[in-house]
Amino acid sequence: MLRVPLALARVAVMAAMQYRASFLAEMAVGVLAAAGVAAPLFLVYAHVPAVAGWSFEEALLVTAFFLAYNAFVAGIIEPNLGAVVDGVRVGQLDYMLIRPVDAQLLLSFQKVAPAAAWELLASLAVGGVALSRLGPPTPMHALAALAMLGSGVAATYGLWLLVTCTSFWFVRVDNLRFLLGAITDAGRWPIGVYSGWVRIALTTVVPVALVTSYPAMALLGRLDLELALGSVAVAAASLIVSRLVLLRALAHYTSASS
Amino acid sequence: MIRVRELSKTYRVPVKKPGFLGSFQSIFSREYKDVHAVSGLSFDIEAGERVGFLGPNGAGKTTTLKMLAGLLYPTAGSIEVGGHRPQDRARAFLERITLVMGQKQQLLWDLPARESFELNRAMYGVERGPFKAALDELVTMLRAEPLLDRPVRNLSLGERMKCELIAALVHRPQVLFLDEPTIGLDVEMQVQVRQFIAEHNRQTGATVLLTSHYMQDIAALTPRLLIIDGGKLRYDGALAALAQRVAPERRVVVRPADPELAALGFVAHDGKMVATVPSGDVNRLVQRVLSSHPLADIGIEDPPLEEVIGRVFREAVA
Repeated sequence: MLRVPLALARVAVMAAMQYRASFLAEMAVGVLAAAGVAAPLFLVYAHVPAVAGWSFEEALLVTAFFLAYNAFVAGIIEPNLGAVVDGVRVGQLDYMLIRPVDAQLLLSFQKVAPAAAWELLASLAVGGVALSRLGPPTPMHALAALAMLGSGVAATYGLWLLVTCTSFWFVRVDNLRFLLGAITDAGRWPIGVYSGWVRIALTTVVPVALVTSYPAMALLGRLDLELALGSVAVAAASLIVSRLVLLRALAHYTSASS
Repeated sequence: MIRVRELSKTYRVPVKKPGFLGSFQSIFSREYKDVHAVSGLSFDIEAGERVGFLGPNGAGKTTTLKMLAGLLYPTAGSIEVGGHRPQDRARAFLERITLVMGQKQQLLWDLPARESFELNRAMYGVERGPFKAALDELVTMLRAEPLLDRPVRNLSLGERMKCELIAALVHRPQVLFLDEPTIGLDVEMQVQVRQFIAEHNRQTGATVLLTSHYMQDIAALTPRLLIIDGGKLRYDGALAALAQRVAPERRVVVRPADPELAALGFVAHDGKMVATVPSGDVNRLVQRVLSSHPLADIGIEDPPLEEVIGRVFREAVA
């Protein structure tokens, strides 16, 4: 069952490491991006002890999950789903779609940008610093946080896939992807900072809070069951809807003239 | 093996007025028109047949091939390949077919071709033993051993096509859709690819549907022709019968060139004299040539395939 994903991961990492200079430059960019994510937090908390009930260390946990989310987007989502948009335009999906492998698997996980691992390491470092000050979580809270992270990743992946699918109809949807990237940037701040419809939007329409604030809340023991189940429901809906739309989108694939 | 009935594919394409103003207007109001790439195509191909798919640019060849491979959904009509509906993309169907596109590549650009073969092995679920046997066989037939460990980006076009063929065939498909596999290759490499396809077909009995603009590909590989133009089938039959039907003349070629033969209808061409006459007149003409030039080297040829096909296309347009 894992044969194809492992084979894909193997060639993806090998291909990414072919160009040493590019690989090293991407790693440097990854480190800078991680620093860029954490910097505003230091600036804000230099002036106030808490924001919307979130202390500096608690907000640092959200930052850690946001970095992990960024690593997922930069490492998996962008290289693959970005390539799908180009592939639809120039007809390069042909060879992917004649494989006896689920098209969604190939479209979503054929490439990887290993340099994004730096953001993942930065995420672990920032999370480690936050927990060293807050104290270790209970095993139950840690497990809940992992579950929320998984469900948040699934929810956001579904959304990215949905946006990508629109390229089968509209061909060039780069701006839509950039817009989505800009909106999900709001996930770097704890969800408590936002109110009203913005909060609802960030947990349902563009559910970035599910992958950043919810795991942090679970780790802190602040996430009630209702919210946790809501996160799982949004993730399930996101995966199902995006899958159905992808299947419909593939029927609209027009390839390109030879 | 392949059954196609009343197959049609219509694309809806935007129509933009020319110039900057046209581009600006298209943002607010866009017109579309329907392009009928394939219209009411019907044919059958038996298992093991080698069929040439010919037509001018934009005739609908590649669209048809892509519908047969399951990449494109037909607008109307039905297709059955090995008992499957291609557009369902069932695993059993995809395992049985392969598609080679001369103008696109499936190989991983930055890695040696061997890595692409390994990836295909995983995707097609081929066990290590049968994979190695198939790979060795294909590499030997194509004399490709020195190419396998070089990054694909460092291979020449011809070398890349050899590796593309290996990648496409390593899972031992039963139906081969080949879309201009020799395009851009030098003459020697074209010959090698043709010989390989013929030999592979002989050894495996796989069905081959080939599109090409090189008539030598068609003459060497495909005894049967499907000619389409404007998305419609114009001819389905043997290559030899096509020449008889469309161009019932033969060419009588006499060497060395002697201007005196112009009196018999010959014209000088590349150091020889050539006359194109109806098939029924060939014997009479040859006898007349021999009576005046008993030592002449006389050959009788079919008209060039390009000329025959060209006539079919012109007839279709008329």
